[in-house]
Order: sequence, then structure tokens, then C-alpha cells
Amino acid sequence: MAKLPTSVDRLIAAFGPHKAYPPQSGFYGAHEPDELVKTHCCYCGMQCGIQLKVKENKVVGFEPWMDFPYNEGRLCPKGVERYLQNNHPDRLMAPIQRVEGEGFEHISWEQAMGKTVSEIRRIQQTYGKDAFAMLSGVSLTNEKSYMMGKFARVALKTANLDYNGRLCMVSAGAGNKKAFGLDRSSNSWADLAHAEVIIVAGANISETFPTLTHYIWRARDQGAKLIVVDPRVIPLARTADLHLDVKPGGDSALFGAMLKILVDNDWLDHEFIADHTVGFQETIEAVKDYDLDWAEVHTGVAKEKIWEAASLWGKAKTSFLLHARGIEHHSKGVDNVLSCINLVLATGRIGKPYCGYGTITGQGNGQGGREHGHKCDQLPGNRDITNPAHRQYIADVWRINESEMPGKGLTAYEQIDAIHRGEIKGLISICFNPLVSLPNNGYVREAFEKLEFYVCIDSFLSETARYADIVMAGSLHEEEEGTVTTAEGRVVKINAAVTPPGNARRDGDIIMELAARLGEADKFSFASSEAIFNELRLASKGGTADYFGITYEKVESQMGIFWPCPSLEHPGTPRLWEDRKFSTPDGKAHFNPVRFKPPTEVTDEDFPVVLTTGRVVSQYLSGTSTRRIGKLVDQYPEPLLEIHPKLASRYGIKTRDLVRVKTRRGEAEFPAQVVETIREDTVFIPYHWGGKHAANQLTIGNLDPISKIPEFKVCACQLIPTGEVASAALTETAYQSDL
Amino acid sequence: MYRLFQTLNRRAFLKAFTLTVLVVVLVWLGSRKLQNFDPALIAYLTGTVFAVFGTSYRYSVWIQRPPTRLYWQRSMRFLFSRHFFPYLWHSIKLFFRNILFQRFIAFRSRRRWFGHFLLATGCLLAFAVTIPLTFGWINFELRPGDDQTYHAMLFGFQAGTFRLGSPLAFIIFHCLVWCSILVTVGAVIMMNRRFTNGGLIATQTFEDDLLPLVLLIAISVTGVGISYDYTFLEGKTYQFMAVTHAITVILFLLWLPFGKFFHIYQRFAQLGANLYKVEGARRGMAICPHTKKAFASQTHINDLKQVTKELGFDFDKPDGSSHLDLSPEGKRSALAAAHFRVRKESGKFFG
Amino acid sequence: MPETNYNMDMAFFVDMQRCIGCHACEMACAECETNGQESMIHVNYVDRAVSVQTTVQVCMHCENPACANVCPADAIHQDDFGVVHSANTPRCIGCSNCVLACPFGVPKKMEEAELMMKCNMCYDRTSAGKKPMCATVCPSQALYYGTHEEIARMRPNSTPVNSFKFGNQEVKTKVYVMMPKGAKQLIVD
Repeated sequence: MAKLPTSVDRLIAAFGPHKAYPPQSGFYGAHEPDELVKTHCCYCGMQCGIQLKVKENKVVGFEPWMDFPYNEGRLCPKGVERYLQNNHPDRLMAPIQRVEGEGFEHISWEQAMGKTVSEIRRIQQTYGKDAFAMLSGVSLTNEKSYMMGKFARVALKTANLDYNGRLCMVSAGAGNKKAFGLDRSSNSWADLAHAEVIIVAGANISETFPTLTHYIWRARDQGAKLIVVDPRVIPLARTADLHLDVKPGGDSALFGAMLKILVDNDWLDHEFIADHTVGFQETIEAVKDYDLDWAEVHTGVAKEKIWEAASLWGKAKTSFLLHARGIEHHSKGVDNVLSCINLVLATGRIGKPYCGYGTITGQGNGQGGREHGHKCDQLPGNRDITNPAHRQYIADVWRINESEMPGKGLTAYEQIDAIHRGEIKGLISICFNPLVSLPNNGYVREAFEKLEFYVCIDSFLSETARYADIVMAGSLHEEEEGTVTTAEGRVVKINAAVTPPGNARRDGDIIMELAARLGEADKFSFASSEAIFNELRLASKGGTADYFGITYEKVESQMGIFWPCPSLEHPGTPRLWEDRKFSTPDGKAHFNPVRFKPPTEVTDEDFPVVLTTGRVVSQYLSGTSTRRIGKLVDQYPEPLLEIHPKLASRYGIKTRDLVRVKTRRGEAEFPAQVVETIREDTVFIPYHWGGKHAANQLTIGNLDPISKIPEFKVCACQLIPTGEVASAALTETAYQSDL
Repeated sequence: MYRLFQTLNRRAFLKAFTLTVLVVVLVWLGSRKLQNFDPALIAYLTGTVFAVFGTSYRYSVWIQRPPTRLYWQRSMRFLFSRHFFPYLWHSIKLFFRNILFQRFIAFRSRRRWFGHFLLATGCLLAFAVTIPLTFGWINFELRPGDDQTYHAMLFGFQAGTFRLGSPLAFIIFHCLVWCSILVTVGAVIMMNRRFTNGGLIATQTFEDDLLPLVLLIAISVTGVGISYDYTFLEGKTYQFMAVTHAITVILFLLWLPFGKFFHIYQRFAQLGANLYKVEGARRGMAICPHTKKAFASQTHINDLKQVTKELGFDFDKPDGSSHLDLSPEGKRSALAAAHFRVRKESGKFFG
Repeated sequence: MPETNYNMDMAFFVDMQRCIGCHACEMACAECETNGQESMIHVNYVDRAVSVQTTVQVCMHCENPACANVCPADAIHQDDFGVVHSANTPRCIGCSNCVLACPFGVPKKMEEAELMMKCNMCYDRTSAGKKPMCATVCPSQALYYGTHEEIARMRPNSTPVNSFKFGNQEVKTKVYVMMPKGAKQLIVD
């Protein structure tokens, strides 16, 4: 395979993205649907409860689900519009095959499966098992995530399986495991609503997890102080008690300096530190020189504000610290996370009512999906693929020889490097659109062009699927039953509302047939999603993410169960660490010394401006689904370059001027939006678009050494005004990802 | 009764009374001193005369309301200005587009437009036929010596002839049948919407929304029934059809001034509103001090300031400007900005 | 004619400072069956160049609605519950008087349809005892629909205010705006 099979315009004409709108007076049957199916939104880790209206096997609308305890009917615009991904004109209804010069043609499942399996065999026989890799995604249910892990290890027998959670919260996961021995938000959101001080670091909650806003506002109604750490005045920061406009890359300097203030003022929980933690001395040793003057230089935040934040945090009786990709998408993402955890541990405010800490998982099943083994170094139950005991346990569950189980493979971005090096020749992907979501995507595209065979399972022809040899028409969220685990660790039930249309098939059925054709039918003969879940329960039993006591029946009757839940009688664990017994080998919470390091790329004369990226409220991740929903596209039709008026005036840039942004990896043009709500030294571009509108043409592919997360959130760029005003035509077509 | 006199609008009464007398005189004259008047239609005539009185009374009351009066005066003045011919042409075009073809409804929903268009066309055609017949302005005569040629008489003058049994005769004598079919199909489409559209189901009322459709269907069905009866049933059900038809038509006429059908007259104001917009734009647009964008004609804003005052509202600000100078977006922003100030001054945004 | 189950104990409360500008209300509004995929709620930036402040505006359902007063076609009706309804479609002549006279900037003129449309507080839902779409989905609860007791309990330091001053004009509404404790009126300009 090489370049696109035909012009991008022809692909767009045939497969979209096209914008879907409901008919003027709603879909037929919306007024009197056949049934209301209780399920969850397919976007983001909040997993808001929602009821889909179904008429004649089509989703025709939604009705708020008032009884689901997390969101009680509340939704964000994506949630409201999510029903429109069903019944969509771009929907892949049958498997398709690449035809050189033409695009794609419909083929039968027999052909698609036959070709795929023969290519897998050919590549693995020629280049070795690991030359065929797999990329998965965490918008998949727990059942599918589990099955992807099993499929790669048992049927494909490749070590190279990784997932798009690698771009999501792996830094947090790694940090949590180091500090607590377990990777989950320590509390349910219920505690958040009562905390006295809340720090939100690098989490644009109001746009990326809008429904969580309610919990923060509720806390503020009762007098809570809100501290927002973000280079931009995000909607949450506008009315915050304190906005720390940290320079991208300055997070660990900020938290280090705050820790020093806590120590200097003795705002510490000595008892907790002494009895339940280790590593405190080394940790405060690491920040002993981080005084306010130093901090102001390295964070870009006024020292008064840093002091104020530390004193609010230090004196509080209850508190909650939340972070997300803003501090995690760094080559020192794990360090940033650990520096946050150090603040929490120093004040001992964890494992108690209204005291909490957690990362806010971005993807629909970012929590559950990262626990059950479709990560290159992991086995179900958040087990370690390099741990012999863990391997043996899972090998027994899977009824294979432990020695046959592949070892640790390459992470997502390392797979791209390996393709470039010629070590990976074939790829199967599901639920992942790396051409939009990976950094430095010119380099990523070249990798896809080098693959000998690429098969993609998806519901729509994503930007990446355009490069596939075969695309198998898979299922949407509402077409397959399963469970997901929300960002607060609550396992909830996804109910199938409709069956896949046309010749499209359930993802689970596709994987099971592929496994059967690869000779492993007996290990993939699940009669239902529940059967997969029951095997997952067993596989997770005794692991840190223990689902053994969770059943479909319990999940549905109790509106979700918080893991760990080791036995059928166990009620689940909304709040972790109440017993002060941490999951680390020594049972203690671990402080980790963090010394500030600058980001990989710092500004210089040639590239004098900091570039950071992020999301907007109307789009979800790489936009495969949300860039096909008319009203969501119209709300924010194209990526804009947010720039402060002082910086803009230096270049003579005005709002709507087209600006070329250039980094060491590439360049792209964006219309300027001149706003005072961003740091003067930083520009921001949202990343949901592909092709020539992709912010990830510019971002840097350097990885955190532990979590292997790419450094999306900071690199150096130069700004070149083109002298043109951005055209309306550019705005109108941006969602299509033309080249 | 006393209350009725108390609340009687003298001006409207006078106008309506005059118009009613005028219609009676025209019936007298047009039917050649009732020579051509068909006594069988006396009930219909009475109903129509009442409808004329009621409708003109209500119309007159209606245009006395300050906003309506202003619109009325303005559009008349704009029409009879130095732009008379272009504006007249514009209004005629709009008359066809919006009154006869009701094209604007298509932008609300195509099916709805189709239903309404059938219904409206049927009604208007039927009016055009039945009113002159009832008034005795039109009648058909056979002349001695030729029992095959019909003479159509308008105000007693011959307006045309046609052969009995010719296709033309068939079309003319069944004109009301065609109207009935149009109305019935249209009303069924409209009725169907009212039973399936959740929004309509929630907001409709029986007397304003369903009764008019029921009435129209009843009139049409009984009207066709009369024709069907004498064609196929040899008059066996004539009595029933004729009486129910007369009752439904008279009910319709009596109800015309009060109920939903009054909108037929009100529609004409849409032409005025349109003219007002065109002339207003020509005279200059108002710029919103907040958004800095044009949002309406300055004439409209000025007129509204006056009308709201007449209605007892005073949006004037101490600095001499008015809250009405702001565009809708400007007003919303002003409210939000005021709220922000109050919250900020209180020291707390929440709680 | 339809079964009405309108609960007069429920009230609508707005707090624009909680608004995060997400437009969920706007999307949900279009799903309300009375307005056929048209959104009646307004969300706009107050001044994006300097702030991310947004404002969210539903119809306030004035006690003496300026829109209905200035309507030359008698097309705007206030019902017994105090709900000011969207223009009566057969009557509305599309003149925009209501659009320009409403002190809150609420009614919308659908240009081609020659029709004014406005928020009727999701009458299809509220008349059936449900909450309006916008207030149901609002993730920040800048829009809240519930009882006075509920709001008093949830937001102890705020007062619902339904009196506004625009120039010399005082306007009283069915919908409340949440203000600092003790406030009696929001003076707009």
C-alpha cells in the first residue's frame, strides 16, 4: 500500500465526512418511539446516562435519563447530538477494499476475511509474528477491550498491541501506580461536590467534561475555592477564585514550589506522612530551592498567586485535586502527575470524605479500557505482562501455554517508528485515527504509506482508514451491548439500541471470526457480551482492577458499580484508601521526588512562540464521529489560532487573518482569533481536524520516558502572517480534512 | 347586553354598519332589484351579510390598536409615496407569492404548505363562486326557443354562453365539487399533522385548530354530497345534504369574524410589513451600539419607541438614549454584563 | 384540548455566571417538539476578544409582555400559567416588532418563513409535567427548573429575582435570575 487510492476529494465525496442534520420536524417516530433504550453517551469519560429513542431499528432521538445518578439528565452538546451518528449517510454498510486509482469497492465478508487472514499469515511467516501489529482504542467497551488484548496475544500472537489510551491518560496511570499501586481516581465525583478547595490543573472541564462542571459549581455554592491552572482563561477559570496562567511546560515547577510553601509553613499532615507514606524527605529535598522568585520565572505565574494557591490548599480541611491532559501530555507527564500527588499526600487529604484526587479520563472508556489488557505491557485486571505470576494466571484463563504468550510490545508511537524502520509491515486497527490524533502526523502518514497491509475496523472511513487496504464495517456504540468504566471508576452498562445496518457487523463478531480463521475458534466462542464479561471478571480476579464481583445484573440494578469489587457480595468501592492500605507492595503511599525539567522544545530566536493544543466543546477526539454531525461542526467549524492581542500586534495580526504556523516538523495555516484569554507568549490550536487543518502537523513526537505519552501540549513555533484574510470556503470545508 | 354596548367600539360599529348597508345595496342593485336573486339562498345571504358586518367590525377594531394603526398608516403612506409604482409592483408580486401561493409556509414545512395551499385555493375559489351567486350577481338563464344554450349573466348582463352538456358546462357546474376536493384533501393533510406532530399536539386547542378543519371538511363533504345525490341517488338524500350543508356553511360564516379564519384578512398586513421593511432599509439602518452591526431600520426603531410609549412602556435611559437602541444580541449582552457586575461587586460568583 | 399537567410550583431560574458557553441547551432546544429543530434559546459571547463570558437567554415570560403588546397581529398569547407562547402561525405577519421590542432580546424572526418564533418553555414538556429541555441538559445548571424550596436549599447565598429595570421601565417576569443575597432588582441600563 502506498498513497491514497484516489484523490482525497473523491474519497470525501464517497465517504464523507458529510454533515448530518435531523429533518426539519425531527425523525419519523421521534414522537412515538418503539422504545427508549437506557444507555450512555459514547463520548468522554463521564459516560453520562442517556435514553435513545428507537423506531424501527433506527435511533431517532434521545430523551434525558433523569434517574442516572451521575448526570441526572444533564448532557453536553455532544451528548445531545450523539444520536445523529446513527442513521448517518456516511456509515460504512459493508466491507470495502482499496482499488488503485478508484478508491474503494464493496466486497463480501468472505473476501474481506479471507484476504486479511492470508495477509496476516504471509507477513507473519515472512517477517515474524511481531511484524503484524495492532492498534486499538478506548472508546471500546470493556468487553471489546478485553477481547482485543486476547485476540492480539492468542490469535495474532503479536507483542505489538497498543491503543490510543497512549495519547490519553497513560502519564496519570503510570503516576498513580507509582504513588498508590493502583490506577483509578481515588473518589467518586460525589466527594468533589463537597470539597473546600478544588485545584483543576490542565483540565478544560467546561469544554471536555462539561457535565462535571455541575459538581464543581455545587461545591462553590457551598463556599469552595476554585483554583484553575491553565495557560488560557478557560470558561471554568473566568469566575475562578484563582487562575494560575501557567506557561506550558511549567507545571511541575508550580507544584514543586507549592510543595515548598506547604513545607515552609508547616501546612502538612505529619501523622499521615509518618504512618502511611514513604519518600517524603527525598521529595521535599528535591524542591528545597524552588522559592517564589524561581517559581515565577519557570511557571510564568505571578508569585503572589502561587503563594495564594499554596495557602488556600495548605489551610483547607477538605480538598480535591483534578488533572487531565494539560499536565499529562508532556515528555515529563509522569513527573507532573507525581508533583500533584505529592501535594495531596503532604496534606494527607485522601481516603476521607470530601478529600480526593484523580485524573479525568478523556475517552469514553478511558478508565476501563486501560485496565483489561490492550496495552502493550498489560494483561487484564491491570496485570503486568512482564510479571511471571500474572502471565501464568492469564494464560490459564485463556487456556494457552504461558510460554506462547508474547511479551511486552511497542507503544503506539513507537509502532510508528518501527514501521519506519521496517520492523512492522502489517497493521490491524480499530477505534483509532492516528492520522489526526498522533503528533507530527506527516511522519505518521509516511509510516502508513510504508505498510504492506493495513486493515481497519471502523463505522466510518476515518482519515486513517483512507489509507487502508481493507476496511471492515464495524459497529457503533449503540449497536453492541457491553460495559464501560467511567472516569470515577464506576462500571456502567451500555445497552444495544439497534443492530448494525446493512452488512455492517458487530466489532465483537468481526474479531471472533478473525480469531476463528486464525485457528483459535475455541478460545473465541462467546455467545454474548455477557459471556465475554464473565471471562473478563475471572481474568481480572485478584488483579488491582478487580471486577470479579461485578455482574451485568448488579450494574443495571445499582446504576453502576465502582471497582475494585472482588466478590459478589461486595458493594463496590466509590472511595479508595479509607483503610489507608495502599496497593503498593509495602502498603504505603509513595512520595516521588520531582525535579523540574524544561520541555523538549523551548522557544528560541527561530521559533519564538509556545504552541499548545487542546479541544473544543463541540468536538470529540479525532472527530471521526463528531465532524459528521452538522450542528456540532457548525458550532466551531474550523480550528482557530488563539493569540493574545499583544503578541498579535507584534505581527500585525487581526482576528480572521490567516496565519502560517511553522514548527520544526511542519507548517499549516489557521485563521487568527485575537483574544485576551491566553498567555501573551503562547498560542493555542484545537486538534480535532485532519489534513491541512491538522494541528498535529506541528506538534512534537517526543515521548515521556515512562508513560510514552507524546508531548502534545508544548512545542516552539513561529508565526508568519500570510497577509490574507481567512476565506469562508476554508471555514466551510475544514471538517472534511482535505489535503 | 349592557356590557356589549359599554364595550362597543363606536368607530368600528359605524364603519361596519356602513359597509354592511353598502353590501345590501349592492345586492339589491347587482341582482336587479332581487330579480335575479335565488330565494333558496336567503339563509346563505343572511349569513354572508352578518359575516361582512362582523369581519369589518373586528378588522376596524383591530387596526385601531397602536402597533397595527402605525403599521397601517405607515404602509399606506409608503405605498402612496413617490415610489408608488415600484412599491405597487412589489406588493402585487408579494400578493401572488404570499397570499395566493402562501410560499412562506413552504419554509415552515413543505407538506404543510401543500396542505394549506390546497385548502386555501379551494376556499378562495369557492368564495369567488358562491358569493356572487348568493348575492344574485351571477345567474344562468335558458332563453326561449333554445333549451341547449346556457347564458351566464353578470349583474343582469350577459357575460357568456355555453352548451348544455359541453365540457365547459361540466366544469362550471361542478366548480364547487372541485373546490370541495381541494379543501378536503388539504384539510386531511393539515388534520394529519395535528394528530402526529408532538409540538402541535401540545399547543393546539380544539376550537382554534381542530374545529375549523372539521368544519371545512363537513362543508366540503356535504357540498359534494349534494352533487353526488342528484347525480347518482336521484335526490334520495337531498334534504339531509342540503340542510347539513347550509348549517355548516352558515356556522362558518357566523364564525368567520371571531375564529381562526379571520387570519385570511390579517394576511394582507404582511404586504404592509414587507413594504415597511423595504422603505425602512432605504431610509437607513440602525446600528447596534454593542455589536456595531446594522440590525433593523432606524424608522422601525423610532416607531417602536413611540408605540411602546403609547402602550405604557418607557425604555428611555437617563442619558437620552433608549434600551431599544440595542440589537437583540446587544440587549442580551447588556443583561449579562449587568449581572456580571452585580455578582462581581458582591464578591461571589456562586452560592 | 391536550391533557395539561402544568405544575405551577415549578419555576425557571437562570444564572448566567454559571454558564460555560457549551451550547448544550441550544442543541437540546432544537429537540423540543414545539419548535421543529429550530433552537429558541440564545447563547452568545458577551465580548469574545476580552472574555469567554457567555450569556444564555431563554424567554423570561414577562407578566406584561412587550412582545405581545407591540404585536400588530395579536399573534402572541399569554396563557393562564403565565407562559407567553410563540407566535400563532396563521396570524403572525413577520413584522419583527416583537423581536425589536423585547427588552431581553428573545424572539427570533425566521426570515423566509415570515414567522416569529420564541421559547415557550418547552410547552410540550412542561405541560406534561416534565422539565424543559434546556434546563434538563444544562451541565452547569446555569438554567435550572425546579421549586423555590429546591433552589433555596441548593444556592443558599443567592436570591431569585424577577424584576428588571431597562431604562425607566420596570419589567416583571415569570422566570427568575439568581442574584446575590438580598438583591431585589437587576438594573440593566
